[in-house]
Amino acid sequence: MANIAVFIEQRDGAFKKVAWQMISQARKLADASGGEVWGVLLGGDPAAAAALAGKHGAHRLFAAGDQLERYDSERYGTALAAFCRTQKPDLVLIGATALGRDLGPTAAAKLGCACISDAIALKFEGGAWEVRRPIYAGKCFVDVVPKTAPAIVGIRPNAFVAQDGGGAAAAVTAFDAGQAQVTPRAIVREIVGSDGGRVELTEADIVVSGGRGIKGPENYVLIEELAAALNAAAGASRAVVDAGWVDYSHQVGQTGKTVGPNLYIACGISGAIQHLAGMSSSKCIVAINKDPAAPIFKVADFGVVGDLFEVLPALTKAVKEIRG
Amino acid sequence: MKIAVCVKQVPDSETRINLAAPAAKLDQTGFTRVLNPYDAYAVEEAVRIKEARGGEITAITVGPETVKETLKKDCLAVGCDKAIIINDPALAGADEAAIAEVLAAALKQGGYDLILFGIKAIDDDSGQIGILVAEKLGLPHVATITKLELGEGTLTAHREIEGGKEIVDCPLPAVLTCQKGLNEPRLPSLPNIMKAGMKPMQVVTCADLGLTPPASLVEIRQYSPPPARGTCRLVTGDDAAAAARELARVLNEEAKVI
Repeated sequence: MANIAVFIEQRDGAFKKVAWQMISQARKLADASGGEVWGVLLGGDPAAAAALAGKHGAHRLFAAGDQLERYDSERYGTALAAFCRTQKPDLVLIGATALGRDLGPTAAAKLGCACISDAIALKFEGGAWEVRRPIYAGKCFVDVVPKTAPAIVGIRPNAFVAQDGGGAAAAVTAFDAGQAQVTPRAIVREIVGSDGGRVELTEADIVVSGGRGIKGPENYVLIEELAAALNAAAGASRAVVDAGWVDYSHQVGQTGKTVGPNLYIACGISGAIQHLAGMSSSKCIVAINKDPAAPIFKVADFGVVGDLFEVLPALTKAVKEIRG
Repeated sequence: MKIAVCVKQVPDSETRINLAAPAAKLDQTGFTRVLNPYDAYAVEEAVRIKEARGGEITAITVGPETVKETLKKDCLAVGCDKAIIINDPALAGADEAAIAEVLAAALKQGGYDLILFGIKAIDDDSGQIGILVAEKLGLPHVATITKLELGEGTLTAHREIEGGKEIVDCPLPAVLTCQKGLNEPRLPSLPNIMKAGMKPMQVVTCADLGLTPPASLVEIRQYSPPPARGTCRLVTGDDAAAAARELARVLNEEAKVI
């Protein structure tokens, strides 16, 4: 029997939706392999998590709250390792978020188990888990098989679809997260939001990005307006960030963020390999560019060859009409 | 202050991967190799700390003989003082856990106050090594830092998170992984590249580190090309505004993504 544990990330009580995506996928694998799906919650509200986890297919929820309200790698790493030692899941899935990318290797080192980063697919084949992940900036995929149990696997947000199976709330079990033994050394003194209320790039359903074609920082507002109309996140290419037109936290690409939204709209972006690295796993790609020979059209599903200064305002207006 | 910077030589980002079908191995002949771009932020930060407070910087890498050029040009010529290359045929194809084990063994011998990494390497993109090493050494870590201030025996780092940043206080010794935004790496000058040839470069094996080559915890089954994307459908109209309206309609009614 193969039991899969899914880490449910919360910040200030709000859950990351990648948790429900992972639970939905884990349920399919567990049904096929004869195991259970467990949610693991550190801090946050167990009742709220149990309801959502159950709805998406989890059988049980393991929760610990002692000193775990806010993330730090030492407390969370100890807690996840303690959970794995006592409950012995075969596989642990963690969203490849800022927190997850830190927690996965931290817990794996404590357990001496395999850790695989930023996976986009997962299957159980020939008695083993096979994990697929992009490497070399998405120019190649590699299938990796962990040789330990548990194995910790980071899952790229939006790689899986969250499915509301309408299940009852998962049964909640409290566990001892081993916090009595931890005195964290690296202490988060303060959390500063850079841009309140903004849709987050890495978890957005839709991303609108601007490249060098926007010509200057004052025109980034065209990207932001379309993004606002679509309830999307606003991204940028490296050229725009390096020119100082927008903050690097908006950068999509090899030295920026990796995104995999349902819809990616690239505006005035030529499509350098470094940019494609960050967005080529998007489900639907739209390119808006004056240059019909721009490489972005090679990866795009839909394209408009035209001046973004004319196309974007009209597109924003049309979107507003459609979405009311 | 003793600083270690752990670096990796990677194929440059323009490298073409020629894979027509699933394969058990990747043909890497002909790749142009450079310093991993994230590691350049780590090297630059180390050099700035040395310039401000004095100290010694050791660049450490795991790799074959060919890493020497990269270490010389991109580490020693910009201010690192010496380099250690862990070159052992037993490490060919080693995974993150094994590499971290080996790096930790080398780092243990140095007594470093600060250990810097790039957040990830652009070839395997896994972003684990710095954190694994910190755990293996029993040191605290702060990952994905975009700002660093050093105090006496302590540091304060800004760490990038979704929609903002965390400001983290941490005692030394500590492990940090460096993200874009931390600094602007300098380029080496030709005279400094020449002088870098005089700086010590030590090549060691696992045995020299008192280590049996560690086993990998994962196995690579195969490499495959990414799925081909369909051809791009160009959406047109009488003018740009009409094309935009048509695009909105197509995305709404046909692709159903808005």
